[in-house]
Amino acid sequence: MPIVVNLDVMMAKRKMSLNELSSKVDLTLSNLSVLKTGKAKAIRFSTLESICKALDCQPGDILEYRDK
Amino acid sequence: METNTLKILQIVKVLSWIVFIGLCITAGAVAVTFLISLFVNPAVAGDLYQKLDLSDLYSFGIGHYIAIGLLMILLTVLKAVIFYLVIRIFKNLDINKPFSFETAMLTRIISYVAFAAGLIAMAANGYTEWLIGQGVAMQKDWAGTEWLFLAGIIFVVAIIFTRGVELQSEHELTI
Repeated sequence: MPIVVNLDVMMAKRKMSLNELSSKVDLTLSNLSVLKTGKAKAIRFSTLESICKALDCQPGDILEYRDK
Repeated sequence: METNTLKILQIVKVLSWIVFIGLCITAGAVAVTFLISLFVNPAVAGDLYQKLDLSDLYSFGIGHYIAIGLLMILLTVLKAVIFYLVIRIFKNLDINKPFSFETAMLTRIISYVAFAAGLIAMAANGYTEWLIGQGVAMQKDWAGTEWLFLAGIIFVVAIIFTRGVELQSEHELTI
């Protein structure tokens, strides 16, 4: 899929662990892991909103379109 | 509603086993009587299975008799295979997550087997008509069009099922 999830990059920039983010955005570790590893098929606006809020970033910082 | 569905599924599961065993017995009976008529007593060809009289065909030509006998056995075996696949669907079925790739694949395989059975039955129908045209007295309805109709319906169901699996997978991977 040409949509790349840069969640790990933003987490590293904010020096935030997966556990910390999980507790802040109210998502399970397994769901965050699915998102982080790029296995997710879709993301809800509400999830994106809470991640952006927790990481203090824009949706574009997390999602990227990369043409092969 | 859910309780009814579970009950119906249980009943269908038991029925599938009964039909599968019945078809295996039928295939075995046809095969055994056919072999007896070939190697032991040709008179058995007059009452092969459930009053099926192929004695005229036997006297017309042993080659044609073998061909028709093998087609009969093959079609019965294919029916049994279909019900074996239905049993495998029930074995793999998780009632909480019924849309799985295995079930979709098995449903699609059932449609392919039914299609193959339809083609074989159509060919057998043509062959039987030719034999009757040659003056052989025999009655055998192979139900070729019914098989193809069944295969078409199951194939459509399999495609819809596959789409259901894809949607379930998408739903599970929506964060």
